[in-house]
Amino acid sequence: MFRNNYDNDSVTFSPQGRIFQVEYASEAVKQGSVVVGIVSKTHAVLVALKRNAEELSSYQKKVIAIDEHLGLALAGLASDARVLSNFMKQQSLSSRLTYGRAIPVERLVSSIGDRAQTNTQHYGKRPYGVGLLVAGVDETGPHLFEFQPSGMTQEMAACAIGARSQMARTYLERNLEKFGACGREELVVHGLKALKESLAQDKELTVENCSVGVVGLGKGGKGLEGFKLFDGQEVKQWVDLVAEGAEEKEGEGEDEGMEVDS
Amino acid sequence: MCLSALNPNTRAIVPGAPKVQQTTELQRPLQIPIHPQLLTLRTSQPTLEHHGTGYDLTNSVFSPDGRNFQVEYAVKAVENGGTSIGIRCKDGVVLAVEKIITSKLLKAGANKRIATIDRHVGAVSSGLVPDGRHFVSRARDEAASWRSTYKTPITTKDLASRMGGYLQAYTLYSSVRPFGITAIVAGWDSELELPVDGQVGSGPSIGSGGKVEGMTFGGPGLYMIEPSGMYWGYYGAATGKGRQTAKAELEKLDLAALKLSLQDGVKEAAKIIYVAHADNKDKEFELEMTWISNLDGPTKGRHQEVPKDILEEAENLAKKYLEGEDDEETKDDDKPAEGDKMEE
Repeated sequence: MFRNNYDNDSVTFSPQGRIFQVEYASEAVKQGSVVVGIVSKTHAVLVALKRNAEELSSYQKKVIAIDEHLGLALAGLASDARVLSNFMKQQSLSSRLTYGRAIPVERLVSSIGDRAQTNTQHYGKRPYGVGLLVAGVDETGPHLFEFQPSGMTQEMAACAIGARSQMARTYLERNLEKFGACGREELVVHGLKALKESLAQDKELTVENCSVGVVGLGKGGKGLEGFKLFDGQEVKQWVDLVAEGAEEKEGEGEDEGMEVDS
Repeated sequence: MCLSALNPNTRAIVPGAPKVQQTTELQRPLQIPIHPQLLTLRTSQPTLEHHGTGYDLTNSVFSPDGRNFQVEYAVKAVENGGTSIGIRCKDGVVLAVEKIITSKLLKAGANKRIATIDRHVGAVSSGLVPDGRHFVSRARDEAASWRSTYKTPITTKDLASRMGGYLQAYTLYSSVRPFGITAIVAGWDSELELPVDGQVGSGPSIGSGGKVEGMTFGGPGLYMIEPSGMYWGYYGAATGKGRQTAKAELEKLDLAALKLSLQDGVKEAAKIIYVAHADNKDKEFELEMTWISNLDGPTKGRHQEVPKDILEEAENLAKKYLEGEDDEETKDDDKPAEGDKMEE
């Protein structure tokens, strides 16, 4: 009698108008390791914490490049993210083929939003069990979008999803005002700091467990600095900056960052 | 029309004629003392009484008293959503929505909730936002397909009809769930009288064909479509969490007279959203507003965002009005806010 009858499928509303299957899918996102995204006037970055199933196994991929101008970070079921990212790659390519231009980030995010919505309205399907942060640059500048299993997509100034991500979000909210003027280096450092807030007590950021994705406007705000994924030793430059003891030294890497929006 | 039996909030409606929604207090039907148990069934909230009967677990299944509970539950999803309103003015239509800020991290001013369906039609919805996007996507397909078939833009009424049919289909099958939204569709339709066969010259005074004396065409259109697929034309429409307050405010405007100008309509719309939000003060919100004017007006018959300066002016007036209302709270509650209303 006390069993919840309304949570067996995604085509049943509860008497309060909730769809439990969709809410449960959102829980799957919270099981995934944390990913952070931040956008400034010139750049959008994704920073992710990678997990390995066991000591000897490799780390799960968290950041996926979609096209030259955008990429995503995932939290939740990685296989669902692969389905969605393959679809996004197709859409992106088809835009280039049909219209001869890169797809606007919002358009692409809406297309997976619409796809995910279908899964919440038809029997026999299940909602996607993954949350995504999509960072990209288009004609209107850099953007960051959040995608949820419900099909909800929202444009964010900064965002964190995944396990213990509330701590990261608190960091982001506290520093929100600073992000707009940040250059790429500062933005990555902010991302890593936010990520660090969400770390379990016995964990720290290493070159093994960090992934960074960066995309932005080119030098001087013109052109495109294509989406680039940094893994392993490539992230050492930033990980060292936020390591214990290396704190309090902000504004690192002025080379590209500062001149852009002086 | 049979669907009206499903919704306890439904009243008799003259088809085609826009109707102003009454407040719930007025619309509750008088209970005829029949069997006491039947009375409970009619008035009861479905939540507890029907829990465990099984009739509320599947879409498209009637309960013994002729209700489709899944549709009623979908309405519940709407009632939790941010307030949306539409006002039909003499020279245009306004749409406004209260966007609750769920996180500080959201990009301000982005994440638009009012969509353009065709150049002359806009739509907004309350309830599950992804369902609203599905609605918009389908509505755009309908509008585009209408254009390619009939070589003319779809009228607001026809769009409402198409979308009403689409939503209704989602109450028919156990393999889908109803839409968790109530959508408000607004548009400006061409006022040109097109010479169509059977409508030229004089013809029969009733039935199809013939020219109807004094018949007007096009103009402002405003329709609201519910999860059941039911839709009506409105002078002023409101849905979402603050709909009761919003409806009460809309009724003060005497929109049926069609005297309100679009410029004033924008101010009233902003005011109504602010007043409706006052009951839900703990959460921050953003006001989003769009309008469609007639061909001589500011948007030239197109659906567009209300320009920033006009929006800000309307918001300031709304805030000022709210402050004034707080002071007057101690005075007569029934007194309408506008002075001119008293002369009647």
